[in-house]
Amino acid sequence: MTCAPPDAKTVRQAITWRVALREHGNDPAFEQRCIQWRSACPSHELAWQRVVHLDQELDLRAVPAAGLALRTLETSHKRLQRRQALKLLGGLAMVGSAAWLAKDLDLISPWSSDYATATGERRHITLADGTRLQLNTRSAVDVAFNGQQLVVKLKRGELMLDCRQTLHPQLPVRVYAKDALLQAFDSRVALRLEGDCAHASFSHGRLAAQHAETGGWQWLEPDQAWRVTHDGAQREQPASMDALAWTEGLIVTRDMRLADFLAQVSRYRHGYLTCSDNIADMRLSGVFRLDDPEQLVRLLPRTLPVQLRELTRWWIRVERLS
Amino acid sequence: MRLVIIKASMAPPPMPSNEPVQALYQDHHGWLYGWLRHHMGSAADAADLAQDTFVRLLQRSEHLHLQKPRAFLRTVARGLVIDHWRREELHKAYLEALAHLPQAHAPSVETQELLLELLERIAVMLDGLKPKVRTAFLLAQCEGLKHKEIAQRMGLSVRTVERHIADALYHCYLLRYDMQ
Repeated sequence: MTCAPPDAKTVRQAITWRVALREHGNDPAFEQRCIQWRSACPSHELAWQRVVHLDQELDLRAVPAAGLALRTLETSHKRLQRRQALKLLGGLAMVGSAAWLAKDLDLISPWSSDYATATGERRHITLADGTRLQLNTRSAVDVAFNGQQLVVKLKRGELMLDCRQTLHPQLPVRVYAKDALLQAFDSRVALRLEGDCAHASFSHGRLAAQHAETGGWQWLEPDQAWRVTHDGAQREQPASMDALAWTEGLIVTRDMRLADFLAQVSRYRHGYLTCSDNIADMRLSGVFRLDDPEQLVRLLPRTLPVQLRELTRWWIRVERLS
Repeated sequence: MRLVIIKASMAPPPMPSNEPVQALYQDHHGWLYGWLRHHMGSAADAADLAQDTFVRLLQRSEHLHLQKPRAFLRTVARGLVIDHWRREELHKAYLEALAHLPQAHAPSVETQELLLELLERIAVMLDGLKPKVRTAFLLAQCEGLKHKEIAQRMGLSVRTVERHIADALYHCYLLRYDMQ
């Protein structure tokens, strides 16, 4: 079952609770009423979680010299507004690229999807024909089944699909991911969307990718990394990360760039995590548990000559140990 | 959250590799550069932002079938120009505010760099808010002032302050979670 997206009214209510709780702090009776409201409906809880995350990210009270922050934001904003040249640019509202940046960031609402996961969530689903589907963090799929053919559409994120024990083992499962179309026969497939591109690998059975132009099918070899587009599949460099480790709740890396590693970890946690340029190419090998990504980040300085610089819990940059 | 910040570079522009974007690039790059140069004054900034505009298009996932390519490019470029100016103003305002701070209270250079990045992200989020909504929200978020104190400072009622803070959060929520 999927949860209904929080509607505008629910979001407004969640915000009212949050603002009031911040103001009135330690009133147990009040807190209790808030908890009641949250548990009344899954969409209440979801709206609440989002509002809290957002509010925490925008909380500058813990930032060193917070007064500096306020002054900087206010002064710069006023001056930007006053820039004459701005008016000549045309358009009504003074809005930068943020609005459509947000859409580019894969922050598309997952709630119109059949199945979706939130940040840090992993989920098992058994579909109508017996195919087992597992969704990784921040992922969304649509599923259609006509009694025989199963069609899965990966809309974002990452999935693992196991169709080795289905009602109709002779029929392939069709998997769409952006422009790519795959057919899985009696197989275990891992598929990840990154930007415009789908990355696939599989073990057992067979997997084919379609060439959109010719309509022909290309058979892929198992246990390899493939990049799949509408033009079919191309083999990729052996990945520096185990493609299926997440299904066991792990990240397993071999000589992975630190920057790439942090980008992966960022998928599992809220907030902003990055590293300075001069250590982006540091290499990392190991097995890391995903159930507590905060802890995973905290432990990095034990593995590498790095330190964490943080403004708040949500804004962390990894830097070379000075 | 991942925000893409594209570093301005003075390297000669490489050609975008995606076909529709490449066609757009060939037909309109010169025009866009001219438009940007006219508005920004600086040729180097204009060249960077013209390049960034096409890089942004490459990062977009949907196919580009544009009725009015120049209007579209102008919209994208306009957002980037505003980002660019916002960053400039932020840096200037930051250095000035820093100069007013006793040396002992100034954050370290590394922290400052990160702080500026954070401030920029927040400034982007708050774009388009009404001035009073914005100020009330920032007073709560930066200074941790109680609603009553904000109300006194701004000459508003507590209810209005609460409404402003809620409005600001709602604005950020929509931006972040893209609710239709």
